[in-house]
Amino acid sequence: MSAPFLHVENLGIQFGPTDNPLKAVDGISFDLAAGETLAVVGESGSGKSVTALALTRLLATPPARYVSGKIEFEGRNMLTIPEDELRKVRGKQIAYIFQEPSSSLNPVFTIGFQIQEAIELHRPEVRDVRGEIVCALERVGIRQPAERLGDYPHQLSGGMQQRVMIAMALACQPKLLVADEPTTALDVTIQKQIMDLLKELKQTSNMTVLLITHNFGLVADFADRVLVMFRGRIVESGPTAEVLRNPQHPYTRALIECVPKLGQKQRRLKVIDYAGIE
Amino acid sequence: MSTNPPVITNETYAHRVARRFQADAFARNGLRMVIFLFILATLAPFLANSHALIRVTDGQTSFPIFLSLDPIEWRFLIYVPLGGVVYLLRRRLLTHWRIALCLVVAVIALVEIVLAYSHPINDPTNDRDRAASFKLLPPIPYSPIETTRDQFAPPSWKHPCGTDSTGRDIAARMLHGARTSLSIGFVSQSIALFIGIVLGGLAGYYRGWTDIAVCRFIEIMDCFPSLLLILVIIGIFESQNNMFVIMAVIGFTSWTGVARLVRAEFLRLSVQPFTLAAQAIGATDLRVILRHLLPNSLGPILVVGTFGVASAILIESSLSFLGFGMQAPTPSWGDILNESRRYIDFAWWLAFFPGLAILITIMSYNFVGEGLRDAVDPRLRLK
Repeated sequence: MSAPFLHVENLGIQFGPTDNPLKAVDGISFDLAAGETLAVVGESGSGKSVTALALTRLLATPPARYVSGKIEFEGRNMLTIPEDELRKVRGKQIAYIFQEPSSSLNPVFTIGFQIQEAIELHRPEVRDVRGEIVCALERVGIRQPAERLGDYPHQLSGGMQQRVMIAMALACQPKLLVADEPTTALDVTIQKQIMDLLKELKQTSNMTVLLITHNFGLVADFADRVLVMFRGRIVESGPTAEVLRNPQHPYTRALIECVPKLGQKQRRLKVIDYAGIE
Repeated sequence: MSTNPPVITNETYAHRVARRFQADAFARNGLRMVIFLFILATLAPFLANSHALIRVTDGQTSFPIFLSLDPIEWRFLIYVPLGGVVYLLRRRLLTHWRIALCLVVAVIALVEIVLAYSHPINDPTNDRDRAASFKLLPPIPYSPIETTRDQFAPPSWKHPCGTDSTGRDIAARMLHGARTSLSIGFVSQSIALFIGIVLGGLAGYYRGWTDIAVCRFIEIMDCFPSLLLILVIIGIFESQNNMFVIMAVIGFTSWTGVARLVRAEFLRLSVQPFTLAAQAIGATDLRVILRHLLPNSLGPILVVGTFGVASAILIESSLSFLGFGMQAPTPSWGDILNESRRYIDFAWWLAFFPGLAILITIMSYNFVGEGLRDAVDPRLRLK
């Protein structure tokens, strides 16, 4: 069998002093097959975002240190290939959507210009750049895209901004889309719209998606598989339905219970009891 | 005001800054004054010259002024309007920036080549007394380096700002001195901005050892009193003591403020998510710096740049006042002031006019700088 699409093995990332390091990611391993959708779930500080950024070595070193393991993307180790080759992977093969759309867009440029930058960088062969940008905006459901090209990020709502970010990420037709908490900064109705959009785009373009979230609610009808991270380690993994129906690890159970359910009367919201997990 | 302005508008940042700048009367008039001074300086050879603009002698028409211009004057005459044209056509030029860049470079190269092989005709005679069937003299018919027998003449219709110890016309010297002062302010501050942006940008973006090295270098530079440092460097280059040495020296000693500011801005901006987003679409470091960080910090950079021009002009004047500035025949405001020292008890005009010119220029630049500073500050609510 050929090399797996994405193969992460014993990845370790540390911050802080070498003699007393903070182990943000502590020896995690997982595989991702082409076309699959994997959700990495965990709360703040569990190392999920660090893992996502490490995929294309986007963490600044220092402060971060890649201490162990390898990340093989289509057979190449992303931790050792030279920077200029890495840049050809970033955006072109692996694209990102970040949490905060309002600050992930450069405030001084129009959205058209920013999508154009992505196309210029990776698809120099495109002749009709303008048409391509309009097309990219159309795909993410922005109405009258030709008129929106000249808008600045601050003129758009949060949901629209996130759509622009997605358009930017998809403009280069990446093989892997890493969505790092794409809906955390948005309100619930917009969350639903964005997740539906991602699902639709995933199906039409047959992309592999790595979804990072702390919200089990999003995972259920989106991901094929789930990884649960806790304090830099993977505590549980498996097909989404199975993990949701029959969570093994106490932390997973606690996380699932944290999502309030409709029609259930509760005095207080559930909180995670760390003492029970240790 | 009855209604609040709409919160969300189609206004771009640049438009907003321009509108807020326009609303400030001091800034507006300061900018007008600076532009007016630049026009005066550009036209100086046509406003004060001993040669006629047009002369008709024995049925022959000639243009003596143009033959007497030296290369530096030609440069001023060509490049300042060129800058204006580029500014007016900026939108069209930006869409075809490659062609525009080639055109500008071609014009500059052509001008420089022609200037390198041309020699101005040095005609010591003046056209004031020359008989001609028709002559059109400049408003001030004296050249800045021309001595007359009219020594220490007080301001009059003939000499609006009087004359000095060798009978040179002060108005003519001041007009030509404006070119020295303004171009030194502009060029030396451009050098300072360039060094400051490069070093400050590297320190702020790469952090770590680069940052430590740049910061210590800035501190070392700041340890020296800059005027003393300038005097030492000018002492070393004494043999080729000209305008460009002084521009370079002022530029190389006044970049530290810019570097500190750019470093701070880059430290702030490089942790913003859009920097990470730019890196994540595969942009090179250079691209992130030039296209994403620099445009975001342009406002504050412009502000320090404007104040820097004012201080550079002041430094040049101090240097000339101390006798370390321009070489003898080149007129400069500080130089006129320096000469006035000896005759201050009876020739007040020698100190008054150049002093006033320096005051007005520095004040105008500072008004522009203050106006810009308020205009780019988003927290400041202006009327």
